[in-house]
Amino acid sequence: MRSLRDRMLIYVQFPATFKPQLHPPPVAGSPWEAVSFKTTGRLADMPRQYEAVYIFDSTLEDAAINEKLTRYHGMLSASGEVKVDHWGRRQLAYTIGPRETGYYVVARFDAEPTVLPEYERALKLDDGVVRYLVTLHEHEVGAPPMSEEEMVAARRRDDDDEDEE
Amino acid sequence: MRRPTKSCPFCETRVRFIDYKDDRTLGRFITDHGKILPSRLSGTCARHQRQLATAVKRARYLAIIPYIKGHTA
Repeated sequence: MRSLRDRMLIYVQFPATFKPQLHPPPVAGSPWEAVSFKTTGRLADMPRQYEAVYIFDSTLEDAAINEKLTRYHGMLSASGEVKVDHWGRRQLAYTIGPRETGYYVVARFDAEPTVLPEYERALKLDDGVVRYLVTLHEHEVGAPPMSEEEMVAARRRDDDDEDEE
Repeated sequence: MRRPTKSCPFCETRVRFIDYKDDRTLGRFITDHGKILPSRLSGTCARHQRQLATAVKRARYLAIIPYIKGHTA
């Protein structure tokens, strides 16, 4: 199952400032102090790629929405650019208060987790934002996306593996 | 009697991460009332069923798909 293991390998690059720590910290004098390190499972000091979906009040002007977006994204001090995708006005699947339509915007950005609370607080306080959702953007880690020919080759390789078993 | 095995529709199309913004795909995996279709019926594998459940719940919150369908208050 060589190919499967290769696909499951995830490469993480630690910044120089990142100090892995035992979690919970070892008791002084215990033999565990000698253990090199184990991450807590949260790489708290690394920028991560997030995806945010905003639903703005559909009565807002497009210019006002763009102004709000630049203000919020300015708070992120995002490394790299913020990719913004305007879905535009869209029927809501159910009414939210009196509203039947909303202006959807999807944004994708790299940001430090520490800047998020302030950014989310600003979103919560804004009456123009009907709803928002910030999630970790799930995507392929490590290798760049495979081209069409590589996909075909990989599939053929998988089929070969199955034959061997 | 063993049930005939169904193949996972997401594995077949090599979907790695289920997108909560894709209402047309999610629409295939909810019932007429808006419930999440069990993997027993859809044949979804455990890994994708977990992803699907999260995706449906996110999409519901964002009013992309309804919580309840065919019910008028």
